Amino acid sequence: MKRTFKAIAVGFTSAALVALSLVVVPTAANANPVCATVGGIKSCQGKTSDGAAYVLQAPLNFNGTAFLYSKGYRYPISIPGVWDVAASSVAEQVPGSNATIKTQVATALLSKGYGLFSSAYTKAGWNADGAVKTNVELVGIWKKEFPNTKKIVAWGESQGGFITQALAENYPTLVDAAVPLCMVGGSVEAALKMAGDALWGTKVFFDPTIKAGGYSAGTAGVVEQLTDIGKIAAALTSLSGAIATGAWPATATAVPAAIKAVVPSRSAVTLIGQMAGLPNVSANIDGVSGPGDPASLPHAQFVLGAAPAIATLQNLQDAAILGVLIIADLEGINGGRVYDNTKTDYEAQLGDAKAIYNLALSGNDAADALLGVLKAAPRDTANPAALTKLRAMLSHKGVINVPTVAMTAPFESTTPGGHLQWLINSNKANLDKAKTAAVAAIRAGKPRPSTVNNLMVIWNFPPDKYTTFTSAGLPDTSKPAANGTKHCNYTVAQLTAMAELGAIAAITGKVPNAANARILMRKAGGLSFDRDFEAPLLKFYAIE
Amino acid sequence: MIGSFRKKGLAAASAVIAVAGLALTSVPAQASEPGVTANSVKLGITVPMTGIAAPGYSKVAPAAKAYFDYVNANGGINGRKIQLVIEDDRYLPQEAVIKTNKLILRDKVFAIVGALGTANNLAVNSKVRLGARGVPSLFVNTGFSGFADKRKYPTLFPLFSTYAMEAKIMGNYIKENFAGKKIGLIVQNDDFGVDALKGFAAAGVKFDETIKYVSGTQSPATALTWVQKLVAAKIEVVYLFGVTTATAAAVGVAAQAGYKPQWIFGSVGADATTIQTATTVPVALLNGAISASFMPDAADTTDEYVKFFREVNTQYNKGVTFDNNVLAGMNGAMMVANAIKAAGPNLTRKGLMAAIESKGATFPSAGLVPLAYSSTSRVGYTGYWIGKYNATGSLLPIEAKNVVYTTDSGNGPVVKTTSKRPALPPKGLPQ
Repeated sequence: MKRTFKAIAVGFTSAALVALSLVVVPTAANANPVCATVGGIKSCQGKTSDGAAYVLQAPLNFNGTAFLYSKGYRYPISIPGVWDVAASSVAEQVPGSNATIKTQVATALLSKGYGLFSSAYTKAGWNADGAVKTNVELVGIWKKEFPNTKKIVAWGESQGGFITQALAENYPTLVDAAVPLCMVGGSVEAALKMAGDALWGTKVFFDPTIKAGGYSAGTAGVVEQLTDIGKIAAALTSLSGAIATGAWPATATAVPAAIKAVVPSRSAVTLIGQMAGLPNVSANIDGVSGPGDPASLPHAQFVLGAAPAIATLQNLQDAAILGVLIIADLEGINGGRVYDNTKTDYEAQLGDAKAIYNLALSGNDAADALLGVLKAAPRDTANPAALTKLRAMLSHKGVINVPTVAMTAPFESTTPGGHLQWLINSNKANLDKAKTAAVAAIRAGKPRPSTVNNLMVIWNFPPDKYTTFTSAGLPDTSKPAANGTKHCNYTVAQLTAMAELGAIAAITGKVPNAANARILMRKAGGLSFDRDFEAPLLKFYAIE
Repeated sequence: MIGSFRKKGLAAASAVIAVAGLALTSVPAQASEPGVTANSVKLGITVPMTGIAAPGYSKVAPAAKAYFDYVNANGGINGRKIQLVIEDDRYLPQEAVIKTNKLILRDKVFAIVGALGTANNLAVNSKVRLGARGVPSLFVNTGFSGFADKRKYPTLFPLFSTYAMEAKIMGNYIKENFAGKKIGLIVQNDDFGVDALKGFAAAGVKFDETIKYVSGTQSPATALTWVQKLVAAKIEVVYLFGVTTATAAAVGVAAQAGYKPQWIFGSVGADATTIQTATTVPVALLNGAISASFMPDAADTTDEYVKFFREVNTQYNKGVTFDNNVLAGMNGAMMVANAIKAAGPNLTRKGLMAAIESKGATFPSAGLVPLAYSSTSRVGYTGYWIGKYNATGSLLPIEAKNVVYTTDSGNGPVVKTTSKRPALPPKGLPQ
């Protein structure tokens, strides 16, 4: 039986893909979807009234529960060799950090009888406001096409996690459960600040010619962004090769020679990471492993002195490039500069990191000198009207209106756990208020408001140790990123486990009980359900 | 009327039950307090059991466990036996974060006790967020004055007299005893050093040469540059406010160079047994050096606490040489036992912390200086006595025994006082 089931599942994969290619996309928006059934999968394509392409898929034995997937932030411009903007107009059916994982997740869910649907949104880049509207319409389209639908689970990654939470907050009758993954929490400004601070620090310390904001419109702006990305890549490559020597890139012209003579460049790298709030572990750096004898001084010097800088470099690559793209994107949307650090106190943002990473920062005096460079550097001022518009964009209320099972890797590079922690804290505050109100209601003989916690949080921790070293004693950065690091870097088993938890939540109307959740999580591996864990808040929430 | 009254009464009763139910969900009952059962309480500690700081510091946690074993053999506290889960943090902040998370999430400990190191405690408090979780962190093994900030560290209780107090007291001593001499300072370039500089500034002491080093870079090669600077500046008195490896490197290199200043060592950096086990520098080089302490010397068998802890060490920590690290571990454990006892049979985290605030200043312990816990103060020990090392590495009082100096971590005065330490409780058990 097992073999037969597996064979059918494999059949679904190829059949589903074939079905998609067979379907002709209707040219007119809001026209009825065009559907075809191949290999037991009914696949439909169409466009919503706002012109967003969508895909609907369900097996013939559809079990009544469908997953509405919201994809993450897709770069709004092409980056040669990295990203083709044409890929932004594809409706991605399920989460996954690459096509293989996506195919396997989709196959697994379709084989279990679940339906899958999603849209490509109307445009790439930040589009939460538009995507929520698209999704609302899409739920209606799905239900019309599959009238035997009983439950809808909204799920999404990164920006899609933000969209998922927003959909659940504002349209709780449309979705029965929400599964935000590696979500942006609260507002896009929180993500903008982390990426913006990382980018600004990179500019000040390593190449003041990086524009980092105020991008032109149109093609000129695209060229400016690509130029910035090239400069960032050049600086980070130079810095990667200078971990041991501490040499500064030739482009680091804003740092006084006297400082460069005594403070290694790796200390500035570490400072950027810590003041921006980047995690201190990364794809290949676990923060505790070192080469050689663990009782030796060189081992400790690597862990305390070099590893924080290498981890920051790996994370900074994602953060600074995202900084360029999201700043340009949000400037375009809101009509002017949106990143503002005129009032940012980077010393306060560095906080205890000055003591914790003291060797990596080369001591207090070196850290103070570097902070002095930041203090002396010209700050970025936002356009007031653009900032007002930015702050009027869709943001979260922090309420849980449907059973929600959220997952994040607390130390991932782009949307670390501080995003989800904001939602957790907000939900906790709401629950505390509800409990107080319930006590008052009972005392007054009035109906008692609900005090049920409908948020389940699952953390994707990296392994304690995963750094490996080359025979030369250097960290091997060619290895794939460890699970629990990088952005939305989940396994097929983890994603399907999250889907199952979401389905349970939708069907039962409440978050799964801890025992059932733990069984699924144990099978998936790398997941932890710990009510007591608290991720460090983003600097946006912790400082300002 | 009666019917109506009864109905109202029933409604009121069900409301009370419902409200009580809600209250139960927000205020955990005894049974739901993490790490506490009717007959046990589970505690956790992170210390360097391996790695560069293990020589010396690896003795702290087993010593604490030995004292708890002794307490358990005598019936425990309020019927509860104390379990201590020891995690090796290798003196690395990230490792301390991982291990503390494990203690809280996997082992479900009631409290963290005796966590060691300023950077590690800072990392744990900012990344594990003990305060937000309400997890007590009792009697941390560091003298960083910042940990007394209740607003920032609401669940953390320091124990050691602070580095700032030490620097202020010793600054006064230098002014009184080495006036006219050229004074040099070697200090760690981090919060440990910032605390020291704050204390020296409060004392009004000025140094003719100040050398800062970054923790992790100390070595004989680095120490040679220090000595060269000190010799060039004709420094006669050198205050080394650093860790033991820095002390060992400095005195070793200085001896080789024939440089013989009056050494003064910070209390952290001159543990004789650590120098003996972790370095190649002879302990005899400490002979004549001045230092300060808030604890009795581990070799002082006339001290009733030292005598008692030595007995516990013999019976429950077999094969381990008794030294200042063992003494610190057992003394911290005794403070924890006092706190658990004072919190009463209905043991809660909040109750534990409240007990330290209300009664902690009178807890019996080996420290020779007063404790200052109160509802508004998280300050533990408040002073030092001053001593001189002999050739075997024992610190002997310069003045009469039990003369201690008390002060605060700010600009308060240094007061010479005759401390009256609480007597060792019967059998050394919390009362």
